[in-house]
Amino acid sequence: MKTGKPEQGGISGSRKPETGQYLISAAITGIAALSCAPLAGGSHYHVVSFILLFVVSIMSTFLGIGPVLLASTLSALIWNFFFIPPQLTFHIDKPEDLLIFGLFFIIALVNGILTTRIRRQEVLAREREKRTESLFRLTHELSKASGIDEIVVIAAEKIEEQFSAPAFLILQDGNNHLMVTGRGRKNIPLSLNEAEAAGWVFSHVKKAGNFTAHPLTVNYTLYPLQGNKINPGVVAIRQTEAFNEEQQSYWDTFIAQITNALEREFLGELARQARFLAESDRLYKTLFNSISHELRIPVATIMGASDTILNTEESGNIQKELIGEIFTASLRLNRLIENLLNITRLESGHISVRLDWYDINDLINMVLEELEDELKPFSVQVSIPDDMPPVKIDFGLMEQVLYNLLYNAAQHAPAASEILLTAGTTESGFTLQLTDKGPGFPETALKQVFDKFYRVDNKKAGGLGLGLSIVKGFTEAHKGSIHVENAPGGGALFTLHIPSEKPDFDIPNQTIK
Amino acid sequence: MNNSETILIIDDELQIRRLLEITLSASGYHIIVSATGKEGLVDAATHHPSLILLDLGLPDIDGQLLLKKLREWYAKPVIVLSVRNSETDIIQALDNGANDYLTKPFRTGELLARIRAAARAAQSLPDSAVVETDSLSIDMASHIVRKNGEILKLTATEFSLLSLLAKNSGRVLTHQYILKEVWGHGYTGQTQYLRVFVAQLRKKIEDNPARPALLITESGIGYRFGE
Repeated sequence: MKTGKPEQGGISGSRKPETGQYLISAAITGIAALSCAPLAGGSHYHVVSFILLFVVSIMSTFLGIGPVLLASTLSALIWNFFFIPPQLTFHIDKPEDLLIFGLFFIIALVNGILTTRIRRQEVLAREREKRTESLFRLTHELSKASGIDEIVVIAAEKIEEQFSAPAFLILQDGNNHLMVTGRGRKNIPLSLNEAEAAGWVFSHVKKAGNFTAHPLTVNYTLYPLQGNKINPGVVAIRQTEAFNEEQQSYWDTFIAQITNALEREFLGELARQARFLAESDRLYKTLFNSISHELRIPVATIMGASDTILNTEESGNIQKELIGEIFTASLRLNRLIENLLNITRLESGHISVRLDWYDINDLINMVLEELEDELKPFSVQVSIPDDMPPVKIDFGLMEQVLYNLLYNAAQHAPAASEILLTAGTTESGFTLQLTDKGPGFPETALKQVFDKFYRVDNKKAGGLGLGLSIVKGFTEAHKGSIHVENAPGGGALFTLHIPSEKPDFDIPNQTIK
Repeated sequence: MNNSETILIIDDELQIRRLLEITLSASGYHIIVSATGKEGLVDAATHHPSLILLDLGLPDIDGQLLLKKLREWYAKPVIVLSVRNSETDIIQALDNGANDYLTKPFRTGELLARIRAAARAAQSLPDSAVVETDSLSIDMASHIVRKNGEILKLTATEFSLLSLLAKNSGRVLTHQYILKEVWGHGYTGQTQYLRVFVAQLRKKIEDNPARPALLITESGIGYRFGE
C-alpha cells in the first residue's frame, strides 16, 4: 500500500493565486512604468500605453486572473496619472485618450481571461493525461496479474491510490453468491450491514450507500461490478464527498477495467474447472476399468481356489497347487495396493523425502531379496564399485524405485536372460543403470512409458501401468532424473541419476586391535 | 517342534487374530487372544505369556502407550505388528522396548522365525559369553573375533559395533541406538559413520559381503545380527 501523499485526482486546479502573485504583478507593473519614465512629458505617451499593455499581456501568461486585473488597473491608472497630459492628474483632456484608456482596460481584461482559460484547459488536459496514464498502468498491472486474488489486491491498491479513499472488493463464488468472507478485504469479515448492502447492490446491480439514492446505513459507497457475462461482485469505497461528473466518469472507467480483468479470470477459472472435470472423468474411467479388472482377477482366483479346497474331498497335490494360486493372487493384490498407495502419495503431493545416509549395497540387496521369486529365472548381475561411498537418499522411496524397475524387467525379459544392474558415482551424486534383454520399447512408446496408466500393448503382464510413473515420481522427488532408451544389443536400458551429498569425514578410530 | 510356551496376541482385526491363532497353534504354541488394549493388559498380567504380539493400531489405547505400560513390569519379548511405510512408528516402538517388528502383510514363515529368534535372545547371555555362528566366534571378554578359526583384525570401533549387535543377536537395533552406544551421544545424527563401518565390517566377517547374512539391514530402521 502506498503511504505517500495521494495524487490529486479532482479538478480543483490551481486557481488560488497567492498574495505573492499580487505583489509580483504590482512590482512588475511598477518597474515597467518606471522604465517608461524618460518618455513622460513628451508626445510619446501613446507608446507607453502599448508597452504597459504588452507587459500586462505577458503577465497574464503566468499569473492568475486577479493579479492580471490588478496589473491592468494599476497600468491604466499609472498611465493616466503620470503620462497622459495634464500629467500628475487623473484628468483626461482628449477624447481619443479617454477611448484609449477604456480600450486599455478592456484589452487587459480580455487578455487575462483568455489566457487564464487556456491555462485552465491545459491543466485539465494534463490531468486527463495523468488519468489516462493511470488507467493504462492499471490495465497493464491487471493484465500481468495471475489469478483473482492478485487482481483484488491490485484493484484495491489502485483505487486507494487514485481516489484517496479506502476501498475493497467483495466477489462472488462462481455460483452467483456473494462471498461474505474470503476474497475481498484482507481477512476482515464484513459486518452484517455491509454484507446486506453488498448483497443488495449485487442482486439489484445498482449502486448504494453514501451519496446515493439508497444509503443503506453503511459507511461505504458500493458499486456493482458489471461484466458482460458475469457480474464478478461489488466494490466498496469510503468516499468523503460525492464524485463530481468528471470524477464519476473516471471512476466508471476505472472499475470497468477492474471488472474486465475479474471477468476474464472468472471465465478462465470456469473453463479450467470444466477441463479439470473432463480430465478427471477420463482418469476415473481408466482407473475404474483397469482397477476393477486388476482387482477382480486375483480376488476371483482366491475365491475360486479356496472354494474348491473347502468343498472337495480332494487332498494332496491339487490342494497344494490351489493354495499356491491363492498365495500368488494375494501377492499380486498386495503389489497392486502398494502401487495405488504410492501413486496416491505422489498425486497428493504429500511426499516428504527423508534423506539419510545409506549403503547402496543394502538398497540393492533388499530389493533383490524382495523379488527373489520373480528374479529366480534370470541371471542377475550386480556391479557396484568397491569404494562406493554411502549416498544420501530416502531408502523407502528408492526401494520402490528399484523394485518397480526390476519387477518390470522380470515381467518383460525372456527367462534365463541377463539383467544387469550397475551403480556408480558422479560429480553430483550417483547413477543406477538397469539393462535387460527383453524386447525393449517401440520407438513411439519411449516417450510415454512413464505416463500414468500407460501400458505397451500386447504385453503378457497385467498391472495398472503405474510402476514406471512411480519410478519417475519418486526419482524426481529426489530431484533426480530418469532416462530410458533401447540398449544397443536389444532390451531396455534405464538410467537414473540421483543427486547426493558426499560423506565428508575422516574415518575415526582406525587403531588396529 | 513342541512348545508349551504361551503367546499373547493383541490385535483388533478378527481375521488377523484367527490367522495367527491357527498358524501359531499349529506350531505348538499356546495362544491367548485379546481384541483391545485393555483386555491385552489384563491378559498379560494374568497369563504371564512368554511372548506378546502387539498390533500398534488398537482402537482403545495407543499401541505405543500400551507398550510403555507393559514394559513397566513385563520383561519378556514383545514383537510389534504394524502397517508398511511407518518407519517412525516402528523406531518409536523399538525405543519403547519392543524387541522386533513385522509389517503387515507378512509371511507366516517370517513371523515364526522372528518368534523363535526373540525367544532365544530372551535367554540373555552373560558379558563373558562367546557368541558363535556357523563361521564366526566372538569372545566378548577377550575381544577376540575368529572367522573359521582365524583371528580377525578389527578396529576398536568395529569390535564395539559387532559385539553390540551380537549381544543383541536377533534383535533389531535402531540406527540412533547403535550410534549412541558405539560412538556416544554426540554422534546420533551421523548415520554416515554407521554405513561406512558396517560396510567395512561386512568385508571382514561376511562370507559374501554383497549378500550379508550376519549384519542384516532393516530398511530405514537399523541393523540386526543374524545367526
